[in-house]
Amino acid sequence: MTDTVPVGPPIIEVRNLKVGASERTILDDVTLDVFDRQVTAVIGPSGSGKTTFIRTLNRMVETTPGLRVEGSIRYQGQDIHDPRVNPVLLRQRIGMVFQRPAVFPMSIYNNVVFGLRLNGTDPSEFDRIVGHSLERAGLLKELQGNLDRPAFELSGGQQQRLCIARALAVKPRVLLMDEPTGSLDPISTQRVEETVEELRREIAIVIVTHSIAQAARVSDRTAYFYQGRLVEVAPTEVLFERPTQKLTEEYITGRFG
Amino acid sequence: MVAAPDADHSLLNPTGHVRRRLALDRAVRWLLLLAFAAVLFPLLDMVYWISARAVPAFTWGTFTENQVGLGGGLHAMIIGTLFLIGIATAFAVGIGVVSGMYTAEYAPPAVAHSARVIGNVLAGVPAIVIGYFGYYALVLYTHWGYNSLAGGIALGVFMVPFVFRTTDIGFAAVPRAQREATLALGARRSQYLARVAFPIALPTMLSGVFLAMAIGLGETAPLIYTAGWSSSTVTGLLQPTSYLTGAIWNFYDFPSTEGSFLTLAFQAAFLLIVISLTVNIAIQVIADRYRRRLRGLFQ
Ligand SMILES: Nc1ncnc2c1ncn2[C@@H]1O[C@H](COP(=O)(O)OP(=O)(O)OP(=O)(O)O)[C@@H](O)[C@H]1O
Ligand SMILES: [Mg+2]
Repeated sequence: MTDTVPVGPPIIEVRNLKVGASERTILDDVTLDVFDRQVTAVIGPSGSGKTTFIRTLNRMVETTPGLRVEGSIRYQGQDIHDPRVNPVLLRQRIGMVFQRPAVFPMSIYNNVVFGLRLNGTDPSEFDRIVGHSLERAGLLKELQGNLDRPAFELSGGQQQRLCIARALAVKPRVLLMDEPTGSLDPISTQRVEETVEELRREIAIVIVTHSIAQAARVSDRTAYFYQGRLVEVAPTEVLFERPTQKLTEEYITGRFG
Repeated sequence: MVAAPDADHSLLNPTGHVRRRLALDRAVRWLLLLAFAAVLFPLLDMVYWISARAVPAFTWGTFTENQVGLGGGLHAMIIGTLFLIGIATAFAVGIGVVSGMYTAEYAPPAVAHSARVIGNVLAGVPAIVIGYFGYYALVLYTHWGYNSLAGGIALGVFMVPFVFRTTDIGFAAVPRAQREATLALGARRSQYLARVAFPIALPTMLSGVFLAMAIGLGETAPLIYTAGWSSSTVTGLLQPTSYLTGAIWNFYDFPSTEGSFLTLAFQAAFLLIVISLTVNIAIQVIADRYRRRLRGLFQ
């Protein structure tokens, strides 16, 4: 990723974010900007708080009882914790893809239009949006003519791309991806990376990954988390070539994690 | 020339620990088969004993006529049983599904826990007690006298715990990932419940409803003091009615054990077996059809 990174105002601004469970702190004092039309990679060892971090961005943390969130998060300048903000609306703007694909027990087509039915999109638009979303998720050619089949009949890699298509169908401005290729074979992984590459200049993407190579391939900026703290965030090449923190260097040179 | 396997690498002659484990395996299998036969043979014998007396005596009149004196048919009792089980099912599904969904999805943990305890307690209340309670609340207190609605509700109260429990279990078993994926798409909780959780929980709920129906069909105790008895066919919710289990209860011990009166009791028993078998087959067919749609979800 060497083309110039467009600089604009950040689409998400995280300031002094802290997430605590009953006894312990899961995230501590995280301050980070996510820029529009860029891919931000989140890396770090297991348990460092990557998943928890991206789940705060669309307020999915709230669906887990017992977690406290402090600090401020702004989406396009608006405080997402403002009591007037409806998390339902927030989640339509900020989509999410999970590590393990969770397709719904219905047809492929109905999976893709699921979010459209929720937000009241005109059904005459469905066919066009389904085609477009599957195309962008790199699935259209494989699945054309089979959209009425149950989504469970797809392979794991296809299911994950279906989840991406489903998230894209509602036209999010930000897409959060939690280890989207964590359970995929190399070819499916490549397809997902191609999808990310295609979306890269259209929306903001935050991708959690355990693969340093993947972060290097797909992202513009990389954030390194360690034990609930953001150790360093920098343009991807800078972080990988000239890390300023010893912890970052140890991680990317594979001395641990 | 093939080399002989090492003594302890033979694939055909297990020794020591493995040999003992295999022997135990075989013993357990025989024991289970024996237990199965011990249940099955008396059951088949009973079905034969009932069928042999009931089937040859069936005529059109058995289904179309009402009982007159010591003879006649079972029309009023067949309709009464279907009517009562219909009211009871509507009642049990209404209360059981709503309370089960509330317990699984909305109730704070302490409330959910108490709801489950109450459900278990209700399941343990003897049916005759529910019958007495129905008698006081729906027959005496209302001044309606014996009536089908009271019978249906008393039977429904008896069935509620089955529906409640399977609804609770069905919703609680929906994989967490399904819930997260739905909410992350911007769904409200009610939308998650209606569009994702409900279809997934449905086979479990249906099996609970049908099981409750099959068991309810065979119950007499909640009905004796509520539904009353009537030799003519029921025409309204507040009318008393007769029912098949009542026919067995009333006719079998009747002093004149000879003749058609006793035959009617056997025919009622036979019909109950047939209806209950039909309901049970319906459970399998419907639950299987839905499960096939959900294949892959619970792996
Ligand atoms: N609901 C919770 N209650 C208590 N602790 C939690 C909860 N959720 C997460 N944690 C803890 O917070 C820490 C960070 O978890 P998180 O899932 O965010 O890590 P991660 O960086 O995504 O790890 P991985 O790479 O293994 O996915 C872990 O130690 C985890 O045990
Ligand atoms: Mg994680």
